[in-house]
Amino acid sequence: MPPARRYTKTHEWLVQSESPEAWNVGISDFAQQEVTDVVFVELPKVGRQVPRGGEAAIIESVKAAFSIYSPVGGTILAVNHALDGDPGLLNRDPYGQGWIFRIQPSDLSELDQLMDEHAYEQFLSEGGGHPEHG
Amino acid sequence: MTLPLGPSHLREGGHMVDFHGYSLPIRFATILSESAAVRERSGIFDISHMGHFEIRGTGAVSSVNRLLTSNLEAVESGKALYGHLLDESGGVIDDIMAYRFGEDRVDLVVNASNREADLEWVTRHLSPGTGIVDHSPEHVGWALQGPESEEVMGSVLPDLCRMKRREARTVAWGGSSFLVSRTGYTGEDGWEFFGPARSGVDLYETFLHAGKESGKLSPCGLGARDLLRLEMGYPLYGQELTREVNPFDARLDFAVSRSKGFFIGRDAILSEDGTPRILSGHPVLVGFLLQEKGIPRTDCILETGGGNPVGKVTSGGYSPRVGGGFGLGFVDRVFAEEFRRGAKANVRIHGNLHPIRPGSWPFVQSGLTKTLRKQ
Repeated sequence: MPPARRYTKTHEWLVQSESPEAWNVGISDFAQQEVTDVVFVELPKVGRQVPRGGEAAIIESVKAAFSIYSPVGGTILAVNHALDGDPGLLNRDPYGQGWIFRIQPSDLSELDQLMDEHAYEQFLSEGGGHPEHG
Repeated sequence: MTLPLGPSHLREGGHMVDFHGYSLPIRFATILSESAAVRERSGIFDISHMGHFEIRGTGAVSSVNRLLTSNLEAVESGKALYGHLLDESGGVIDDIMAYRFGEDRVDLVVNASNREADLEWVTRHLSPGTGIVDHSPEHVGWALQGPESEEVMGSVLPDLCRMKRREARTVAWGGSSFLVSRTGYTGEDGWEFFGPARSGVDLYETFLHAGKESGKLSPCGLGARDLLRLEMGYPLYGQELTREVNPFDARLDFAVSRSKGFFIGRDAILSEDGTPRILSGHPVLVGFLLQEKGIPRTDCILETGGGNPVGKVTSGGYSPRVGGGFGLGFVDRVFAEEFRRGAKANVRIHGNLHPIRPGSWPFVQSGLTKTLRKQ
């Protein structure tokens, strides 16, 4: 069974990578459908410290620019440079090859404040998605 | 406000948004796939939010002509004409289409955001014996656009395939009368329809189903409509055009007849002999292309190479047909000339500077630019 993803109300996901010190971050399938047509991703610098909820990346789609907020505070360990050459990965494989950055959480207790798969599904079904902007 | 074609859009998977108080689809599939469909095949857009007025009476043509920058008197009956309504100081109240039918009927199609102001302005300036009806509250409108729109039209209303570019007609269908013109806002061949919702919904669905069956037509949303118009450099009221801007500032010289007589705002924008008054304090519209990745958006700051702010983006976007990010913006008139001659400039996006170079519109080759080249 793959490790469980956790979600934010702003539609980022977080999942443990090679160790409890390294977690991958991306956007949910719901979010990529809202964003559509990703053209560029502005990735954070490796080594940067980001607070929980701080802007860590920007997704530019044909429609608009979307800020990606870090689900937890920590240090950027790596970024997915495959998105530079093929930003469409974010639309095609949001939970896999479309990951955005890897973070080392500074406080593991922040993980408890994120939603699990079931809670996120519930959040979406209750209309937690952003309305699209005209 | 929900519009009569709303249920059809929901059946087609439309993602609805609020646009100036009207619920309209922003997209059905994606903006890129829909805009490509219109350049390569055809698309159909809901434009029911636009205003449609009908002016009748012996003074119809002369009344409208006193408000319009272009010359309706010089246009033959059964033709559509683009022009601006100006205030006394030359600011643009709206950019509109006027359709002339003989001497005593003129229809106007206006922007949704300006409908009430336009209705008040036109009504106030009608000559005695001339009346105006606002058809907008019960109407629907749609635009069929793209190189294959003629084939779609041929399968629904084949007689209309004989219409020439910018020709306008009233067409009876299902017991209602429709205003139909061979016009559009995409740079492609196509038609625009306005008529009562009671039969218009059926006629829209007839086009949609005929076109989808043949695989030539996609329902398209506001997102694709905005990208297609920006690729052509067509202005959008509220962005390139406002009351603070005159037609020459927005480089829409073609919308102004220098030889016609009086119209409201004429003295503010033209001198006695018909030459444009250049208002050095007014910024001027420029087109630009990004030299590296990045997408400029409305209100991004434009700067000189030395870091001085010189203007703002009015519309920006990304198109694979243009080859990257591009846009339109107003800049200081002196800098506009330096920029054209090669001066360095940047657009600030999310705090970062992105170099830009001059780009002239249309930014792409479209069905209409190819046709014009052939002629």
